[in-house]
Amino acid sequence: MTTQPIPDACPKAAATAVLAAFLLTASLPVPASAEDSESPDADTVLAEARDLELAEAASRNEFRSLDEDVQSLKKEVLDLNRDLFLLEEELLFPANSQVAFFISMDVGEYFELDSVQLKINGKEVANYLYTKREAGALVRGGVHRLHMANLKTGDHELVAIFTGSGPNSRDYRRGATLNFDKGIGAKYMELEITDRVAKQQPEFVIREWE
Amino acid sequence: MRLKTLFVAAGLSFFAAGSLASSDMIGQKAPDFALKSSTGENLRLSEYRGEVVMLNFWATWCGPCRQEMPLLDDLYNRYERVGFKLLGVNIDDNSQRAIDMMKELGVDFPIVFDASKDVSKLYEVNAMPVTVILDREGNVRYVHKGYKPGYEEKYLNEVRALLRE
Repeated sequence: MTTQPIPDACPKAAATAVLAAFLLTASLPVPASAEDSESPDADTVLAEARDLELAEAASRNEFRSLDEDVQSLKKEVLDLNRDLFLLEEELLFPANSQVAFFISMDVGEYFELDSVQLKINGKEVANYLYTKREAGALVRGGVHRLHMANLKTGDHELVAIFTGSGPNSRDYRRGATLNFDKGIGAKYMELEITDRVAKQQPEFVIREWE
Repeated sequence: MRLKTLFVAAGLSFFAAGSLASSDMIGQKAPDFALKSSTGENLRLSEYRGEVVMLNFWATWCGPCRQEMPLLDDLYNRYERVGFKLLGVNIDDNSQRAIDMMKELGVDFPIVFDASKDVSKLYEVNAMPVTVILDREGNVRYVHKGYKPGYEEKYLNEVRALLRE
């Protein structure tokens, strides 16, 4: 077997072939060994996961702190609102001239309250319509502040007119009057609706809170 | 002629100022009120907090109200079970007329009587009908003055949007 010597006549062509082969191998993607490819990728993935976790924890913390901020802001607004309300009340109804009127109900078997009209010294100051829910709350022991006013010291006349349905669901309209003396300091009056079992009728009483 | 134009302009500006006043309520808390209803019960607006409420101010002498009411009744019957309340506020001096008209039209949504016009003043009602739509928080969100065919589509879209909130 004889080997054919490469003709010396074309060394240029041989060089071009070698160059082409080199370029080809250089342009082809070099398959990396399994170990080489896995180890840096796993590290990156782990680092990325750690970063993600940290970022998530940070954002969670941020959210929590934001939530806390919102909550405290809400609380501050509520406190401010309460202070403003109290301040306004103090300003509008100074303790010395303040008179408050409350409605309460005891039992309420003989009377279903519909409305209360309040007159002080002949002038209507409140006319309140009670819904079923409100009347129910009164029957269950609730007390409703019907009106708040400023009155100067001296004698005053209070007239309360109660409307509703009485025994046997008949329309009922009843008035109660009280002459009272307003001294120095706040005054609280209670308009109470009670049942008079002996007469099977409702009773309307106005009394002052001591 | 010039005087006439001046009067017309003054009238228009007065009307514009009036409508501005009502539209100013948008975004504000709806004023609370309690009125006697057609069933004899007292209804208070604040007791409907948490529901989308439509207040429709109407009168028996108002033609567009007559057109609008059956459509509102449909809306009410359709969305009542998902938290929509419709309150018709009648401003007639004689509430019996309102009850008769309701029967005649065959509508059954709750009606309250504002014969003293206190609530109408509170809501600056200066047209008839006026429809005010409140969100679940009790804020005024939409105010519509008068009624023209097609308004019911607007109402429907607005009510649906508020129910979704």
